[in-house]
Amino acid sequence: MEKVGSTSPGWYDGFRGRDVISARDFSREDYEALFRYADLYEEDPGFYRGLLKDCIAALVFVEPSTRTFHSFETAARILGCGVTAIRDPSMSSIAKGESLHDTIKMIESYGASIIILRHPARGAALYAAEISRVPVINAGDGSREHPTQAMLDLYTIARKRGGIDGLRIAFLGDLRFSRTVSSLSYALSSFKDIEIFYIAPPILQIRREVKIYLDDRGVEYKEIIDMDKAREILRSVDVLYVTRLQKERFPDPSEYEKLKGAYTVGPEILSIMRSDAGIMHPLPRVDELSPELDSKPNAWYFDQARWGLNVRVALLSLILR
Amino acid sequence: MEEHLLVRKIDMGTVIDHIPPWRASDVLKLLDLEGLRRSDISLVILHNVPSKKYGRKDIIKLYRHFISNEEADLVCLVFPTSTINYIKDWRVEKYKPKIPERIIGRIKCPEVTCITNNPRENIRTRFRVLSKYRIVQCEYCDTIVELERIADLVGKKSE
Ligand SMILES: [Zn+2]
Repeated sequence: MEKVGSTSPGWYDGFRGRDVISARDFSREDYEALFRYADLYEEDPGFYRGLLKDCIAALVFVEPSTRTFHSFETAARILGCGVTAIRDPSMSSIAKGESLHDTIKMIESYGASIIILRHPARGAALYAAEISRVPVINAGDGSREHPTQAMLDLYTIARKRGGIDGLRIAFLGDLRFSRTVSSLSYALSSFKDIEIFYIAPPILQIRREVKIYLDDRGVEYKEIIDMDKAREILRSVDVLYVTRLQKERFPDPSEYEKLKGAYTVGPEILSIMRSDAGIMHPLPRVDELSPELDSKPNAWYFDQARWGLNVRVALLSLILR
Repeated sequence: MEEHLLVRKIDMGTVIDHIPPWRASDVLKLLDLEGLRRSDISLVILHNVPSKKYGRKDIIKLYRHFISNEEADLVCLVFPTSTINYIKDWRVEKYKPKIPERIIGRIKCPEVTCITNNPRENIRTRFRVLSKYRIVQCEYCDTIVELERIADLVGKKSE
């Protein structure tokens, strides 16, 4: 495996100058290279300090977000980038009726080296990338995708498990409107012998476009609606990935109340799972993950959040260096 | 009743034949109607005429108007039994349709949260054709639309 760092003969070139719009756009080789550079952030923190001191990262967040915003901002500052941010849409020109097109053009004219975009509309990041001359990173475009979340999810799994191949993973919760679940499903399809279980009621099941993509790539998956069946599957999975169940998605509120219990993960669920299995969550959580799990070694979600910084530092460097 | 008793042959124009019965109006939606209104063409629609091959069929005859190859490809994609003949001085040229890779600027995306539906932006829609599944997919938002449904989404996007 290629070694990076001061002794490295050269950088991995697969990300240079590229947009990050969809987890489908990257290969196994890309992901594995990204993981090596993410490791390096801990092995040799000095390596990244000030590496991009001539760059300006523009953070355009047309939707509230705290974690992703701070993760990118911190990564950019560690690399020595200048940071310019459009954050609160109600205060900015966007609220006054400026198009995304004009916002991107304006940001570009300020000398941005890269644009990091969070937007409520599906497809906004691809559209921005078509307008922009500098790379665009999709930091979430509505319910469509969140590719850097998928990258840090994969990185977490790879670090905890020693690899991705042969993974059995169950997704639980609102799969239909979760950009995280779509992106991670797409990313997993680059690896071997993956088995995915989508556990959700029919109205929140995984979207058809994700299933078609997995079919075309020969990835094994099953949709699970029955909770007894789901419990059976949870006994053998490597990872249980939990997402929020949003009340407003349910046409009938009593339906939500009924399901809420079944979709809450606590010590009882953990007790039927394998002792080395991991529980993941994109955070923030509401009620779906019991705080009683937090101290268990199976709770991977705080590492997952922490390692997002490694991945974003590595990704910005690989694109801009 | 035979087709030639209903309407005579044309010397110049386009004949869209073997349309599934009662679907001719959907075929018209797939054509560029603005273009049709601008020119001096006349058109005849035959509904539910007997067909040896399919039992019943619709036919559209466009007098003195040649639909574009792009329109012909779209019609044949959505209604694969359709055949397109261009008539020039009574001579019939059978058109060999190609399966388009993309449909650009013709279909409105049915997903309300798609960026192409934001009235502030001016975006040409772009759909990838997945003919194996008889669907198209919005390249912006990934939403899937059955080919059967696209006639209702055509032309709604002004561009
Ligand atoms: Zn769309």
